[in-house]
Amino acid sequence: MDCEKVRDQFSSLWEKELIPSEEKIVREHLASCPECQKEFEQFEKTMGWLRSAGDVEIPEGFLPELYKKMDGRKKAPLVEKSRGKWSIFTPSFKLPAQAVAMVAIVFLVLYLTKMMPMEVFQPREAEQTSSPVLVEKKSEQVSAQKEMGKEQKTMRTLPETTRSKDINLAQAPVPEEEKLKEAYAPRVKAEAKKTEPPSPKAEIMAYQRIDSKEEAKVKIPSPEPGRVGKGLAAKEESLIASKPPQEIILRISDREKVIPQLHELVKQFGGEMVTTERNMFLASLPSDSLLEFEKELASLSDPTQADKVIAKKQITGSLRAAPGMKRDEIDEKSKKSARPATDAEGRITIRILLIQE
Amino acid sequence: MKTSPRIQKEVIEKCKAGDEKAFAEVVLHSQKKVFNIAYRMLGNMEEAKDLAQEVFLSVFESIKDLKEEIKFEAWLTQITLNHCRNRWKYLKRRQYFNSDSLDDPIETEDGSMPRAIVDPSDNPETLYEKKSIQQFIQRGLMKLKEDQRELIVLRDLQGFSYEEMGQLLGLPEGTIKSKLHRARMDLKETLERCAH
Repeated sequence: MDCEKVRDQFSSLWEKELIPSEEKIVREHLASCPECQKEFEQFEKTMGWLRSAGDVEIPEGFLPELYKKMDGRKKAPLVEKSRGKWSIFTPSFKLPAQAVAMVAIVFLVLYLTKMMPMEVFQPREAEQTSSPVLVEKKSEQVSAQKEMGKEQKTMRTLPETTRSKDINLAQAPVPEEEKLKEAYAPRVKAEAKKTEPPSPKAEIMAYQRIDSKEEAKVKIPSPEPGRVGKGLAAKEESLIASKPPQEIILRISDREKVIPQLHELVKQFGGEMVTTERNMFLASLPSDSLLEFEKELASLSDPTQADKVIAKKQITGSLRAAPGMKRDEIDEKSKKSARPATDAEGRITIRILLIQE
Repeated sequence: MKTSPRIQKEVIEKCKAGDEKAFAEVVLHSQKKVFNIAYRMLGNMEEAKDLAQEVFLSVFESIKDLKEEIKFEAWLTQITLNHCRNRWKYLKRRQYFNSDSLDDPIETEDGSMPRAIVDPSDNPETLYEKKSIQQFIQRGLMKLKEDQRELIVLRDLQGFSYEEMGQLLGLPEGTIKSKLHRARMDLKETLERCAH
């Protein structure tokens, strides 16, 4: 047996765990090998020290200190309980903090959503306003509304401009083809007049002016509202809604004399007088007798005047507003004249203005 | 394991019921063993005392979970070893043992004393005193690896059987024997170096 194997058996030899035959072999080797013998002696010495080391005595006060620690442990849950009392307040601080945070977030989101659309949509609005097509589209829509007579109703019920705008927005969208037609028609007109397209601002102003005009019409009171009956007003509205009336301005010298003649003339041509307001008359006539009626009407005017009928034009606005209007405003309206419309029965509405010289 | 009267089953049962007198009896019966394992494993009296007290606190808190009263001794030793391992790791992380040179004074029950520089067997009248041997052995033990020290403490200092050690450490007896032999040989080498 070599030295390494013998040294591996030191523990077993020392504890007397080797079988007698193995012990004999090991002991023979130790007897013949001084190095292994020395190693085994040292091993025995170490084991002797270990076995003789014995136990270390317990330090004094071990048990009392242990009891102190136990008491400390028992108090610890009480401390935790007392902390628990504070922990009742902790969520109460947490909860408002969370609530405040939530409110802050909500305000932030509202702020951002309010601000962002302003920033984002402002250019869009600018684009919309800068596009003449769209502006014209709007103006066309407004004029269409005039034609439809809806605007007056809305204006009567909702006189505020902003509200009427809202109503306009709320109206059903115009089909695309109609929109394009409406958009391009005024453009062609503008090109024909060889006028420069207005700047976006000017266009916005123009659009606003249209609105303000409409508003002004609403605000302008009827000269003698008492005279106009409800039925007449309704009739007039229906006429306006159906077609733009024609206007004839007549220069006269004797008003008292001309008015009965005018009524008679209207009756003579199979027409009827719809409204009579001082020097303004609204008459409904058969459209085929219009030319002859004009000739006869001219005979009623002042014979000294060269231009008996000074103006004959289409009226697009309210009939009752006409007397209060200035001449240039009338001229402006005359530019917007369109083909006089006749209703289904072939009747035409004309407005006769008497100007006393 | 060193022959000590086994603690009575009734005492353990009372202790489980929360009887503090029974617990005191358990402490008095087992404190020496727990403290000595702790001291041999840690090499410091104060640390050992603190650890032994922690062990008994753990016992007091968890003895109600002990199912077999007859296994109390093994259960207590297991708790002690676990505490020792944890404390050793804790102290090692804080480099508690790094300053421990062979020439440094060693802490004893009566305070620190110079390290033995000669073989205690050379002067039997003076050096073969029990305390000197204890310190000499402790110096050697502290130079071993933790698992080696654990084997020597359990087998050679506390007298556990290989079977008990196998149950405590979860190792086969053969493995324990071979590892223990290696630990003993390493300790021998260490003590030889210390003695010369």
